[in-house]
Amino acid sequence: MIKWLRQTVTELYTLLLPPQYFSWQMVLYLSVFSWGMSLLGRLLGASAFTVGLLASGGWIFLALGLGWGIQANQIKPFGLNLAPWVVGAVLCMFVFGTWGGGWLQPALVSWPLVSFGVAAVPHLVSWDLHWKTPSPAVRQQLVLLFLLSLLLSTWLQFYFRLQAWVEAYPSLVADRLDQSNFVYPIPGQAVPLPAGIAHLTQAEALVRSQLEGQPWPSVERWLLNQEGQRQALQTQLRNRPSPAPEDRLWDLDLGVSNQGDGYQLNLWAVWTGPAATEGSYYLEKSCQLRPIPQPISPESVDQAVAALPPTLWASFTCNLETPRRPGHPSTAAHANP
Amino acid sequence: MFLTNLLPDLGLMPLRAIAFQTMLLMLATSLEAMVLRQRLRLGYQTSIRYSASMNLLATTLGWFTFLTLERLLPVELRQQVISYILFNRFYPNGWSDRLPVVMVVTAIGAFFLTYWVKLQGLRSLMVLLGLQPSPATASGDRQGRYRAARNQTASSQPSLTLAVLQANALSFTAMLLVLLIRLVA
Repeated sequence: MIKWLRQTVTELYTLLLPPQYFSWQMVLYLSVFSWGMSLLGRLLGASAFTVGLLASGGWIFLALGLGWGIQANQIKPFGLNLAPWVVGAVLCMFVFGTWGGGWLQPALVSWPLVSFGVAAVPHLVSWDLHWKTPSPAVRQQLVLLFLLSLLLSTWLQFYFRLQAWVEAYPSLVADRLDQSNFVYPIPGQAVPLPAGIAHLTQAEALVRSQLEGQPWPSVERWLLNQEGQRQALQTQLRNRPSPAPEDRLWDLDLGVSNQGDGYQLNLWAVWTGPAATEGSYYLEKSCQLRPIPQPISPESVDQAVAALPPTLWASFTCNLETPRRPGHPSTAAHANP
Repeated sequence: MFLTNLLPDLGLMPLRAIAFQTMLLMLATSLEAMVLRQRLRLGYQTSIRYSASMNLLATTLGWFTFLTLERLLPVELRQQVISYILFNRFYPNGWSDRLPVVMVVTAIGAFFLTYWVKLQGLRSLMVLLGLQPSPATASGDRQGRYRAARNQTASSQPSLTLAVLQANALSFTAMLLVLLIRLVA
């Protein structure tokens, strides 16, 4: 036990304090030292140039040290030479990370290419910084490696293009994606709601502001102008404060049917964009319009008025759920009138 | 816990595209290596390397073309492309009637473009590997260059052209078959 402990301590000691000064550990220590100095410089209020220079030194020493260390220790999972990839990642983080803002995309997309460059430089440049021509076998290997890193880079670009699509058309992800030959939705993830639900809520607010608490005859007049109301809903959708490209693919519509002494008002958000199923789908919000007698306030009780038939006012209530139905509301209305 | 938080942040990942592409690339590479080996009398490893380089080049250029074109297409056509990629089907809009024609033209165009890219790629690769001295460096004067070009045309070029054409046709047929099987299954 003690022997094993002593051996481990000795190994750790040689790992942390290598016998030679010209070693990868020293380069890593230089990196840490550079970082520390740049931090110190920032604390002492040194110029931005000094701090940046020291931090850059830290990054470059980190890349060199990591690459050297991985190469020297022969860390090769699955026979893959890891060193160029790690060095490439550190360099990309250094170059693009200092940009700030949306640095992740350019950093990831250029990572395979930078790694290829790191892998190729020892074959193309000699120690005294002169160009050298590698043997044909190495040239062939470099060509294959270059093309492979290009392919990896295009895959990453495609990934970011997919994210851009989802950002522009968020309702696409609310559909079933299992037919796709390109993307694989990882099972067990929460499926987002289509944006149509938000549009329906907005439409409900608009209708409510126009109908609730209005005299019943004016409500009936409002209902007569169905086409005009439809256009008003569409205009509200088009003039949203934060428009998305997919707004053009949503159609808002409404349908009225008799229900008891009032009406049932259905608000529909029809998706006209790409969908997983034939004939697309629509979301439905059912609302009830009822005539109710005017609430009588105690002060204005007047015998003469009370004798008259009570004035009717509209009450407007909507269901909370918005069921998703296949097809188009115009065809569905014929199916179940 | 970290993974469950990470996955939704990553969003849609083109995992199927990567898997399919890897499979199709291996299929095409092995088929084309067979043709190159027979036609050009190359060794096993050499033909595999050549064919892999050719196919990787064509694939990456194809991706670049797609990614660039997708930016430039009219919005309605872009939406059809998105529909095909996410749902494997087109949806009715203004382009629906023209889509079959567009598809066929694209497929035929892709065939000839990949053929051209593969041929040029293979030629450049051979020059790069020093197997065929390029006509320009072989001899400075006009006459010599002409003779070199003529010699090349007479001896090695037609077999190379034909071999790449045949290889491309074979791999395209195989990929079409795989896609059809996928469509039926």
